[in-house]
Amino acid sequence: MLKLKGIDFSYGEQQILHKIDFHLRENEFIGIIGPNGSGKSTLLKNISKLLDPDQGFIYLDKDLLNNYSYKDLAKKMAVVPQDSEINFNFTVYDLVMMGRNPYQDRWGRVREKDRKKVDEALQLTDTEKFKDKSIQNLSGGERQRVIIARAIVQEPELLLLDEPTASLDINYQRNIFDLISNLNNKLDMSVLAVSHDLNLISQYCDRLILINQGYVHTMGKVEEVITKENISEVYKTNVDIKYNPITERPYVIIIPHSKNIQRRKTNSFIVHLICGGGTGKDIMSILNDLNIRVSCGVLNRGDTDWEKAKRLNFEVVEIPPFAPIDNKAVQKNEEKISAADLIIVSNTPFGWGNLDNIRVLANFKDKDILFITTPEIEERDFTEGEITALFHKIKKNNNVFETNDNKGLCSFINNRYEKMLYD
Amino acid sequence: MKKKINYFYIVLIIIAGLILVSIISLSLGSVNLSPYEVVKIIFSKKDMNNSLNVIINQIRLPRIILGFLVGAGLSIAGVVFQGVIRNPMVDPYIVGISAGAGTGVTMAIVLNLQFSFLFFNTIPLTAFAGALITVYIVYNLAKTNGNVPVVTFLLAGVAVGFVLNAVMSFLMVIGTRDLQKIIYWLLGSLSTASWYDIKLMIPYFLIGNVMIIFFLKDLNLILLGETHAQHLGVDVEKTKKYLIVGASLITASVVSVSGSIGFIGLIVPHIARLLVGPDHKKLYPTAAILGGMFLIISDNLARILLAPMEIPVGIITALTGGPYFIYLLRKTKKEIW
Repeated sequence: MLKLKGIDFSYGEQQILHKIDFHLRENEFIGIIGPNGSGKSTLLKNISKLLDPDQGFIYLDKDLLNNYSYKDLAKKMAVVPQDSEINFNFTVYDLVMMGRNPYQDRWGRVREKDRKKVDEALQLTDTEKFKDKSIQNLSGGERQRVIIARAIVQEPELLLLDEPTASLDINYQRNIFDLISNLNNKLDMSVLAVSHDLNLISQYCDRLILINQGYVHTMGKVEEVITKENISEVYKTNVDIKYNPITERPYVIIIPHSKNIQRRKTNSFIVHLICGGGTGKDIMSILNDLNIRVSCGVLNRGDTDWEKAKRLNFEVVEIPPFAPIDNKAVQKNEEKISAADLIIVSNTPFGWGNLDNIRVLANFKDKDILFITTPEIEERDFTEGEITALFHKIKKNNNVFETNDNKGLCSFINNRYEKMLYD
Repeated sequence: MKKKINYFYIVLIIIAGLILVSIISLSLGSVNLSPYEVVKIIFSKKDMNNSLNVIINQIRLPRIILGFLVGAGLSIAGVVFQGVIRNPMVDPYIVGISAGAGTGVTMAIVLNLQFSFLFFNTIPLTAFAGALITVYIVYNLAKTNGNVPVVTFLLAGVAVGFVLNAVMSFLMVIGTRDLQKIIYWLLGSLSTASWYDIKLMIPYFLIGNVMIIFFLKDLNLILLGETHAQHLGVDVEKTKKYLIVGASLITASVVSVSGSIGFIGLIVPHIARLLVGPDHKKLYPTAAILGGMFLIISDNLARILLAPMEIPVGIITALTGGPYFIYLLRKTKKEIW
């Protein structure tokens, strides 16, 4: 459908695009992503013949792009530009009809087929209800749908979109991309879309092209492009990658800078957290915010707390999913506990599987231990009283503090932390 | 459907208005005639030497036709320049045409080149030449890499216009005895209208209009922005060239016979846009008829108000058009651009 070979482009002295190569196949949906100023929009302008490349060739089907007249090109390729603001009082219907321009004669006579195509496009984009309204009276999302309707009536084989959802709310974002995806699947249009929104475009396209400083950085399936390494490198920001459970496509999570400050390497205050089943999540956040070094144990892989700890780069003593704690893990856990200044035990439920997490505490009589005691241990005891007994024994023999909630936890840790700093 | 009928009625009404205004104008003057007599004289072939016949057919009719052509021409050029440049403040003189024509005329008057050569009056010829040379210079100044960016074109026109105005002022200062003549021309007037003027300007007027008519549909698309237009299959640079050259030809032809009559090219397009919307296929005829009618009415006022003295019609167009336009702006309360 569309083939680029070695495209170079410069604005004056500054080279914007370097040796861009790619091939968009029939009926394919390719997304172009990249940071601001990476050359995405310039690339799109080269493809839509607004700009001429300095070097290289662009083929549309078998023919060079330059061999197409503007009119013939408009029948093959439609463009939805980034800014769709229109300053004149055209009605929606008239505006969509303008998409028929390449099929009309010099006088713009409207034939039955033109009307039919316009009606179809209005229906498809759900813009029929305001076809007599002025384009100026529409919201951004509605206007964008009208511009897409105008592109549809061009009956293109290739649809180019430049940031089609910039400045739209999430409802319209989904709405517009659903529509594009529909055109791709049902009307067999090939689609090439530039987007800032990595997560949105990743859910829809077949392949992604990641552009960085005018070069193709990575090209391929979404999973191959949206990786922690690629995105962190190109966007120069710390991110994490998750998978959308429904589309099974990757998505990027931003990690705010404040959460990302290098943990004090030399700090001597270490907390060991015993948790599970999501009870430790908030505690981890608090500790992370305070830049305290944290270790966790023992957690099953896949557990919510395990995920969070991994994400925050905490040290974790881990075991396979649903497996009971084995001796090796207990030993490792003991190592971590002995290195810690404070042990926090979350209000997680206890069963036979994680009983050992508490049992080991009995060996550390000199360590400070903080229990979160709401709800009461009796309510979380699934060991027929064994854990409750253990709990009370530790309370009696060890250096145990108690708190009800995260607020109490915060003030306790702050106290501790300050005290440590003074000492 | 509703809109179409609206447009049809609007055009019908303004055409009827135009005919009515024309007939009334023919009957007005130092020799008063009834509209009925006017119609009779125009359509009767006999009595060619009758003095009434001369007044109507040789004096008043050419003046009204010329008035129509000038008014229509300025409005059409205004519509086109406003559309191509996508700026509501633009009028046909923005690209330096009136300054060019004025410089030509001033030179002719000051340097005493004013003579009739085989029936050719030099004033319109020098005006036309000055206008065309100016457009040519401005156009080529604005040209970069074969394209004519509209903003560059606009700025080049304004700059060249300033230079030419300075030249004109200088010529006027050194040729003080002709000052009144020059000022009178600059203010614009139809008082010297004759069939000769019409013959002189009509070829360029028609060529310019044909060039524009061919690109009216594309001009609609250019209103959306040049990139939009190109994506919809318009060869934007070619279209712009034809439209600019066409509108310049019309303006030059008009200025050469009437001087620079202000205001029509600026406001009539806006009034027409209020009536029929931004579609140039409707805007073009509406603006043309309205502009023609407006200038005929203004010219009547110019003739009658201080008769037997004539006021330059440019003063009337500004004095009547300005307040009316302000009234429209306030009344519609919506953005007309």
